[in-house]
Order: sequence, then C-alpha cells, then structure tokens
Amino acid sequence: MALEVETRPAANGVTVVAPTGRLDVAGAPALRDAIGDAVRNGPPKVVIDMEGVSFVDSTGLGSVIAALKQIRSSQGELRLAAPNQQVRVVLELTTLDRVFPYYATVEEALTGF
Amino acid sequence: MQGRRQFEFSASFSDLAEGLDVLHASVERLRRATGRAADDRPLMLFETALGEIGSNVLTHGSPGANARPVEYALWLSGETVEASLTDTGPAVHEHLENPMPGVDSERGRGLALARTLLDDFGYERDGEVNRWRLVKKL
Repeated sequence: MALEVETRPAANGVTVVAPTGRLDVAGAPALRDAIGDAVRNGPPKVVIDMEGVSFVDSTGLGSVIAALKQIRSSQGELRLAAPNQQVRVVLELTTLDRVFPYYATVEEALTGF
Repeated sequence: MQGRRQFEFSASFSDLAEGLDVLHASVERLRRATGRAADDRPLMLFETALGEIGSNVLTHGSPGANARPVEYALWLSGETVEASLTDTGPAVHEHLENPMPGVDSERGRGLALARTLLDDFGYERDGEVNRWRLVKKL
C-alpha cells in the first residue's frame, strides 16, 4: 500500500501536507519529497495532517525528523495534527513527542500559526 | 511445550512493499479471527514491533540476487502471539543492544523500539541465516 501525499495551502502561508496510508520505510520517501517541495515553493510553515496515516514506523518518523530539520534550518516551523493512537504511542516511546508538539486537529494546528 | 494454536499464518517474500503488506495483512487476519477491536492496544504494539523487524529484515536481510526469500510465520497460542522471521542477510549481533538514539537522529530506532514493545524478543544466527522471534501476550 503506497503512501499517497496531498499538499494544500492554508491561511497565513501555511502548507498542509496530508499523507494517506502507512508512513513506513516504503512510504517515507514520498513524504520527504512532498515536504521538500512545500518548503521550496513557499514559506517554511508546514502542518502534517496525520489523520490518514494508519501506521508509522521508525523510518517514517525519521522522514518527519528530516523535515523538521529542513524547516528549522529555514527558520520555519512544523506541526503535527491528528495522529492516531499508534502514531502517538510511537512518538511517546521514542520521546519524539517532546520534539513534535501535536494537535488534535488540523484546525487547532493552524490556530496562531 | 507448545500449546494449541488458534491461529496460524505463514508466507515468504522478497520485495519490500509486498513483504510489508503481507505482515500487516496477517495481523489484520489475526485481529479478525480473534474478534479484537481495531484499536486493540496489545495487538497494535505487536504490529508496531513486527513492522520494525520486518522492515529491517526486508531492507538489510536479503542481499544479492540469489538471496533466499524471507520466511515469515505468525501464530497465536492461548493469549500469546508469536512471529518468526528468517533472512539470509549479514549477522546483526552488534546492533541488537543499541540504545534508543537521540531525538535528532533520523534512524536507528527500530530494534530499540521493538525490544520495548515485546514481552520476548529473540535473535540467533543459524549458519547463514538470521532467525528472529517476536512474542507478546495479548
């Protein structure tokens, strides 16, 4: 099941990147490419809408960390929205929840961004 | 002594995407066979560990055109789910006890995460084969 990634503009120059499927070792490159395109084509303010992500593995999370580094190097900001239970558990067990503040919905993530 | 198995599944594969699909589909079959909810936490934790070891095996475990396919089995005995994976990649003893890397690292979390998620996690080198064993009480 290949990861599909949609990108859409939101208010205040924020880009919402919405992957659907498993964000794993097979899907990670698609997210990495989409984030790279978003940062190249607009302000480095990105929300990753995780609602459609059914499963994440450590390689998938690695692609999110790479995105965070890329965005911060451009003085930007990355927020995660709507992670499911499995994603939240993996973030907590890897202590990455300290790095990625996550929001219950995309709308919450966009507030004040 | 091995108890009666209420569920059994086995497969072999070489391709990364196909292999990952098979692993997740097998857990879904187990979930349905046991009537567990989609958000059943122990099974979700087991599937997460299986995804980590499966992706390791599929990306590092089958070097060369003549490599044998990965052999996979999943079964349930009582309340304990167990999986085995075998691959013909290089031995990985030196990586087994790697700690969880820092938050800036983009890789190296898989084995540490799997150890945390499972009740028992086994690895042995058997000749030219790696044998992995993943166990979790549901």
